[in-house]
Amino acid sequence: MKVPLTWLTEYVDVKLTAAELAERMALTGTEVERISHAGLPATGGNLDRFIVGKVASRDRHPNADKLSLCQVDTGAGTEQIVCGAANFQAGDKVAVCLPGGLLPGRDEPLSAAVIRGVESRGMMCSEAELGLSTEAEGIMILPEDAPVGGRLADYIPLSDEVLELEVTPNRPDCLSIYGVAREVAAITGRKLKPPPAGEADPRGDDRIDEIISVGVADSDLCPRYGARLIAGVKVAPSPPWLKARIVAAGMRPVNNVVDITNYVMWTLGEPMHAFDLARISGRQLMVRRAVKDEEIITIDGTVRRLSAGMLLIADAEKPVAVAGIMGGETSEVSAGTTDILLEAANFQGRSVLETSMALGLRSESSTRFEKGLDQELVPQALAMASRLMVEIAGGRLVPGQIDIQQRPFLPEAVPLRTDRVEALLGIAVPVAEIEAILTRLGFEVEEKEDGLLVLVPSFRADVEREVDLIEEIARVFGLELVPPTLPSGMRVLGGLTSGQAVRRAAVRALAERGLSEIISYSFIMPDFADRLRLDPGDERRQVVALANPLSVEQSVMRTMMLPSLLGTLAANLSLQNQDINIFEQGRIYLPVPGEKLCDERRVIAGCLSGSLKGHSWLAGGGEADFFAGKGIVEALFASVAGSFSVERAEETFLHPGKSAAVIAGGRRAGYVGEVHPLVLEAYDIDIPVVAFEIAEAELIASSAGIIVFADLITYPASFQDLAIVVEEDLPAAEIVKVVREAGAPLLQTVRVFDVYAGGSIGDGKKSVALNLEFRSADRTLTDEDVASVRAAIIDALKDKLNAALRE
Amino acid sequence: MSGDLRKQLEAHAGLALIYEEAWAEIERAETTAGLEEARVKHLGRKSQLSSLLRSIPELPAAERPVVGKFGNQVRTVLEAALAERKKVLEAAELERRLSRESVDITLPGQPFPRGHLHLITQTLWQIEDFFSGLGYRIAEGPEVETDYYNFTALNTPEGHPARSLHDTFFVEGKPEVLLRTHTSPVQIRVMEKEDPPVYVIIPGRVYRRDSDATHTPMFHQVEGLAVDEHITMGDLKGTLEAFAKSMFGAEREIRLRPHYFPFTEPSVEVDVSCMICSGAGCRSCKYSGWLEILGAGMVDPNVFGFVGYEPDEVQGFAFGMGVERIAMLRHGMTDLRMFYDNDLRFIKQF
Repeated sequence: MKVPLTWLTEYVDVKLTAAELAERMALTGTEVERISHAGLPATGGNLDRFIVGKVASRDRHPNADKLSLCQVDTGAGTEQIVCGAANFQAGDKVAVCLPGGLLPGRDEPLSAAVIRGVESRGMMCSEAELGLSTEAEGIMILPEDAPVGGRLADYIPLSDEVLELEVTPNRPDCLSIYGVAREVAAITGRKLKPPPAGEADPRGDDRIDEIISVGVADSDLCPRYGARLIAGVKVAPSPPWLKARIVAAGMRPVNNVVDITNYVMWTLGEPMHAFDLARISGRQLMVRRAVKDEEIITIDGTVRRLSAGMLLIADAEKPVAVAGIMGGETSEVSAGTTDILLEAANFQGRSVLETSMALGLRSESSTRFEKGLDQELVPQALAMASRLMVEIAGGRLVPGQIDIQQRPFLPEAVPLRTDRVEALLGIAVPVAEIEAILTRLGFEVEEKEDGLLVLVPSFRADVEREVDLIEEIARVFGLELVPPTLPSGMRVLGGLTSGQAVRRAAVRALAERGLSEIISYSFIMPDFADRLRLDPGDERRQVVALANPLSVEQSVMRTMMLPSLLGTLAANLSLQNQDINIFEQGRIYLPVPGEKLCDERRVIAGCLSGSLKGHSWLAGGGEADFFAGKGIVEALFASVAGSFSVERAEETFLHPGKSAAVIAGGRRAGYVGEVHPLVLEAYDIDIPVVAFEIAEAELIASSAGIIVFADLITYPASFQDLAIVVEEDLPAAEIVKVVREAGAPLLQTVRVFDVYAGGSIGDGKKSVALNLEFRSADRTLTDEDVASVRAAIIDALKDKLNAALRE
Repeated sequence: MSGDLRKQLEAHAGLALIYEEAWAEIERAETTAGLEEARVKHLGRKSQLSSLLRSIPELPAAERPVVGKFGNQVRTVLEAALAERKKVLEAAELERRLSRESVDITLPGQPFPRGHLHLITQTLWQIEDFFSGLGYRIAEGPEVETDYYNFTALNTPEGHPARSLHDTFFVEGKPEVLLRTHTSPVQIRVMEKEDPPVYVIIPGRVYRRDSDATHTPMFHQVEGLAVDEHITMGDLKGTLEAFAKSMFGAEREIRLRPHYFPFTEPSVEVDVSCMICSGAGCRSCKYSGWLEILGAGMVDPNVFGFVGYEPDEVQGFAFGMGVERIAMLRHGMTDLRMFYDNDLRFIKQF
């Protein structure tokens, strides 16, 4: 909402600069986005160089046919000005720019010049040059009452500081100059002047209701509909002051009739519409809901197909306006219009909002109506507009008016317990101060035994409850006065849950191992399932899709993390980043049949494509292979004191021989494996990648929690190595399992420290070397103790795995 | 060497010879290996001195004590000399070895690469830690949410103009399901489940259908909610002031500007004094000296109505902040989109 300061001060005599006022408004709840300047630059005394002049004489330029040589009375003397326009004569009052004057949008001030051999000391300005219109033929001729020698800006509001307000949706009353003036009066303590009043006198023997009939069929969507008739107007450009106001408000002058409706809207906040009476078919208007597929061409020239239920205004034949949003082309005011029907109405906010959104059509009118307007504005706006129509467009106000109102306005009475003010704000506000604030804001206050009874004015429908009144008091009284405190007597315990602590430990472990965290969008491209070669029946193909995505690349919620990781990896590769080892903690979104919401599961997933040991002049190493990935998963579980086992994974997007399902607590927790070459190809990745994804819930469940002490000090352990030869395809885990069973309870840990095939081992065989740790909790083990367990282990290996001891 | 010993040595030419020769060789030895050779030669089991000492019983009785006494003295002196010489040689050899082992200390060390947590995570943790220190818990809720929790129960019924301020993503085929536009719906879910007092913060991803230089379609918020018997606006102010000081420095101040949110009343926006110019006015704060960091207010009684709290018995405040904005202000970032480009050059800076 643009509020030109000189317009505002018509209604409140505020003595602050624009910046001071903006600060005060910001601190009381009206955000000022910026302070801009409209029209003539005001700095450096520029406004003194634009004055009202009177053409004393106009002669032909001695050296140029198309130029005039004029003597112009500037009040202080006479200046000789050469002018190229033809639309004026001696005696006309004109807008004069004296040398040194800077026009809007120019870089250099005007200087005295010699034009075709004759000195010219100034310029007679056109409307376009002064910023009042986009095109102008000839110079601007001022009305007779313009004072010669006076500053032009004092006669026409040509130069203004403009406050650009961001009005919150609960305050449609501030979408008007008068509403802002009321607010400014309340927050500065200055007096608010009365609203624009003054009626035009109706003339003539006819009556509006004899000329046109107006009905409201759907009063639920139109609580009030008012209209007046102005006969015999002359459609013409608006006078300069009106154009200047329209321009300063950020609109475009059209003609006097349209400009007046816009001027009234800006002043009072009530959108208006002017119909050409001659083009209203059947001399009747009906406010009603549209039937399906009714059409209207709005004044922007677009054909709008309406849905059933949208509110419209129709004449005998067709819709003539989409209620509260935009008028129709057929009944639009044009140059030949003589009689106009002025509409001011109150339309239901929600209906206007929904229609506006459905049609994709927003206007100054709809943005006001959709917030819910004050019904009492209807007669005010009609009175103000009628007067201006008569004064400016030369019309006659036809006696009578239409005013169809569902029910008259009755102010709500809201009780206010004054002690609640302190209880909510934490600061005491004196009752006298409360009453003063509310009164300045337009409320009526009565003192009662148990507090105050507050009557809410029609323009503050947002205030319904005690707490709303407290907010009004707080913002005007000053939030800066509220003392900062902390809640007293807290009876709760804060902190991270154990699950949240585990999550932090896990991601920290990944970062410590060299993986960097990414955060990618939760929505991805639907083709991920094909790129990952998911089976047609794979349930990860079932996605939550967005109805209105920004692009197909961000149109479905991910059901797995890998597509995001591979996409990020590919992007970093193309940036020539090295050692791309990344992870993400976040959710996957799995639809649940029959449920509204989906199953959102937190996972920790990552992929490695480079060395985790860095690059150095020292010896390198650390390939991103399956075992690097598995090592990271081991680190992840170790960080939460959890454990897992593996099975062969059957994931179509992983290397069939270098991938594993991660099993924790007997449940599948995720996978780790090298990414399938065809998948890498689909993501334009030309280096090997190993990936993992672990469900956070399983990781948390596997966490041992508080670690229980075991005495590893008092009785030292005994270590032995054991090398055996087995079938080459025998999994190491099976060997370890047999060893564990046979070695219990003294065998504490088994560690595979070497695997070797070839050489003297024999075809189809491999040698596996194990390091065994024996320990007893209550004594130091003797050689004999260990030897017998070792023998049992060797026997079991021979029996169960056909293993040979390697000497 | 004592004069007495020398006299005795002169008296026993054999011993003198042994002594002179051994002494000279010990002094001459340049390496510990050479010294060891000298030791074996002159003090070893097969040395002349050892033979002499062994042959004492065969000497004439008169000579025995003299040779025995002085022979052993010679041995002691030589052993001492040997030890002394060994110390010197070892020191020199160690010196030489260390000198040989000298490296180019200007070469880089062995890398132990570490990864980096995303700046958003680091910022989130810092916010979480601050509030958990004040006694808040951390709550979470769904990102794919119903219209009811995202809007209606937050006092924003259908047709409310505030709804159009949120550019909402909707779920296909389910008109009442959407991607949450803020973390506020979790307020409702927490209060539905738990009786007051409630002190929680709610971090998480939120979504709005907007993408340009200053908007990403996904971003992070942290919501805060405190509901108890006597919570006041002053408590909100004090809590957020402490937060601002913790995040942006002890010398920061905050100010509350009245604002409008459907689910708080009164509502405020909170500014922190500009950490770049300390309030003097600069480009970052648009010469106002203040930077907006969050929205807040006292929980609207209607919201309590939706969750079955008795509005006359409890009061509370709520606040919501954009994590990206906090991180950008703290670290002097200007381009929001960098958070989601996931360029490792960016991530590894922090």
